[in-house]
Formats: sequence, structure tokens, C-alpha cells
Amino acid sequence: MNSEPLLDQLIEALRCLPGVGPKSAQRMALHLLERNREGGKHLSTMLDAAMERIGRCRVCRNLTEEEICLICGNEKRDKSLLCIVETPSDVMAIEQATGYQGRYFVLMGRLSPLDGIGPEELGLEDLAEQLNNNPPREMIIATNPTVEGEATAYYLQRMAQKQGVAVSRISHGVPLGGELEFTDQSTIAHAFSSRQAVEN
Amino acid sequence: MFTSLEPSYILHSRPYRESSLLLEVFGKAQGRVGLVARGARGPRSRWKSILQPFRPLLLSWTRRGEMGTLTGADQVASPPALAGDPLFCGLYANELLMHFLHRSDPHPGLFDHYSRLVTDLAAGSPTQPLLRLFEFQLLRAAGFGLQLDHEHGGREGIRADAWYVYLPESGPVRRDATSGQAEELVSGAALLELKSGEIGEQHLMELKMLMRKLIRFYMGGKTLKSQFLFLQS
Ligand SMILES: [Zn+2]
Repeated sequence: MNSEPLLDQLIEALRCLPGVGPKSAQRMALHLLERNREGGKHLSTMLDAAMERIGRCRVCRNLTEEEICLICGNEKRDKSLLCIVETPSDVMAIEQATGYQGRYFVLMGRLSPLDGIGPEELGLEDLAEQLNNNPPREMIIATNPTVEGEATAYYLQRMAQKQGVAVSRISHGVPLGGELEFTDQSTIAHAFSSRQAVEN
Repeated sequence: MFTSLEPSYILHSRPYRESSLLLEVFGKAQGRVGLVARGARGPRSRWKSILQPFRPLLLSWTRRGEMGTLTGADQVASPPALAGDPLFCGLYANELLMHFLHRSDPHPGLFDHYSRLVTDLAAGSPTQPLLRLFEFQLLRAAGFGLQLDHEHGGREGIRADAWYVYLPESGPVRRDATSGQAEELVSGAALLELKSGEIGEQHLMELKMLMRKLIRFYMGGKTLKSQFLFLQS
């Protein structure tokens, strides 16, 4: 094919984005070049700065451009609550949906032996150290309801119990606005077994 | 090739492309098979909640060459999900299967053993005897079965009151109980229990050591990641 090398490289580079195949990469590249050079330049500056400067929080491992992230550095947040999540997007989801005012610890994955990820690969030593040095009053486990998420939750639970830290887990069940009839069996089973008493 | 409603378990799944899953499946008649489940991670997928390990499934797929494409998935029953120690044990069993089974090698007998293992784990039966028995059945299916009919190099049967060292690839060799290889010694009674499939409390430790040694031997020094899940207990 008789094409421009730099343009080809740009198209190829855009394909590192999730869900972007050759066609959409080409559309994006042409859009920026033909219609929005300003936006393209801004994007490239931001990308460069973000890739250069955003790292991981020393305390909770969430993404931050500081040594310690805004959540960990916020004195108003409750240090006695520690919520364990799998990824930074889980932190965002909880921050946006709840009024949670405690701290987080981001696993950056989950235990998955068949993917070669054990406690060591997840760096659970860091968490054990925190539980030992600054034990929270309550550790809230918010891993996903998958087999690996469950295994991770159970492992974390035992870590916390070893340090005498109280553990809770977020509940999983029938989605709001959903109907039992259209909910799959295992979700119903889970929701049923983790039912709660109703206060009169 | 079309496979229809094959009794199957999912051993492992991982994300593939934008919204699909790459499944490693243990089918009763087909053995271990790699399948692509197109769109299984999409928000509207009917498969998302079904395609989980430790659930008895009926899967259908088409296959040309190495990887197949999933065309149907039904849940047979909804057994209690594995949790806690039984879940760790299940993950360990899956890792063993992934290591010891080759793709498209049928193992219907082992499939039934695995199915029973998952059911018994979910029912809360003591995990250790279940795992020892499964390891024993798995090694046999993989072609590394233990020789428990007689002493290695002799005709004499195994005696419950004698002590042995089990040599991989060979069999049990009689040893003095005071021969100084205490951690390698296994009682004839333990070996006979393993052979009969009825493992009691008393010999669990010896059999654990024995199976660990054999699995390490046949894995050629590689370690199983799921072993590290148990380290804390
Ligand atoms: Zn932080």
C-alpha cells in the first residue's frame, strides 16, 4: 500500500486503546488531522504529562501524581475504615456512588492461580504490613463476585482475622430495578443466602 | 466438528478481545478443550453468570482446529457455590487438571471423579481426603498411576504393618521404620487406603507428603500457584 509512514504509525499507535480496531483507529487519526488539530495537540500534551507523572500512591496503590493520593492524604477521611478493591475503577465507582469516607487499598488484580497470580504477585505483604502497623477498625472487602474475587476475599478475610481486624463484605444480589424472574439462578441463590433481618 | 450438550466444567476463563472470553473447558467426552465465548462479557450476555468454574454445565460448540467456538451454554443445576477452603481446594484441582491434561484427550472417568469432588467440596465434606483421592485418580488418568499391587522389584504384596518409601515410576520399597528417612516414609496401611479409595483421618499426613512428592516429580520442578493460597492456614 502506498501510504504515509507517519500517518500509518499514528493509526497503529491508536490501536493500543481498548476496543479500537484498524478501522476506528483510522477514523480517529483522520478526524484529528482534518478537523481538530487543536484537540489532537492537547491530547498529546495531556497523554505525555499523564504517562510521565501519574504513578501509584505509596499507601493505597491507587493512581496519583503525588507520592500519596488525595484520598490517603485527606485528614478528614476516616482512617479506621479500609476498603479493599481490585482496581482503580472500583475506587471511582464507590466514590461516585456512595458517601464512603474511609480509605482504600487497591489490589491491582486478584488472586488467580491459573494466571500465575498468587499472594506474592499481588503484593499482599504490603497490606499485611498496614494491617499490622495501622490496624483499621473495620476492613471492607469489595472484590468482585467471581470465583477469583471470592478466593481473594477469603484470603483477605483470613489475613485480617489473623491481625484481629473486623471484616465485612459488600453484598451482592438482585440489581435495583431488576425482577427476580429475570435474574439468573446463582445471583438469586447468593442474594437469598445473604439476606438480612428487617428491623421493626 | 459439532459438539452438542456436552457435560462440562469450566476450568479457567480469561478476557479475550473487547467483550469475549477464552475458556478452558473440561468436557466429559471431549476432554480439555479451548473455546471462545463470543460476547460473553458484554452487558447483555446471558452467558456471563453461567460461565463460571465449579458449575455443572451443558456446553455446545463447533470446532475446526485448535480452538472451538461456544454456541450454547446451559446450567444443569445450581449447586452451592464453593467458598472458603473448599474454594481454594477447587482452584487447586483446576490447576492440576490444566497442568496434567492435554487438549482433546478424553478422560470420561476422571471427569466423573472431578464432578464428585466438586459436589463433595460444596457439600462441606472434609477436604483433605477428597484431594488425596483426586490426586491419585488424576495421576492415573495422566498415565502416572501409582503401582500399589506389590513391592517394587518383588512379588510380595503391600503389608499394612510395614513401612515403605515410594519411588516415583517404580513403586513402594520396604524400609525399616527407623531408617532415617522419616518424612519420606509411608505406612503400608496408608497405601492400602489410597488403593481402596477409603481414606481415613489417621494417614492423611503421610499421604499428603507422598502425593506432594509425586506431583512435584511429575511437574518437573514447577510449582502450583494455588499451593500458596493455603500457606496462611
Ligand atoms: Zn492512596
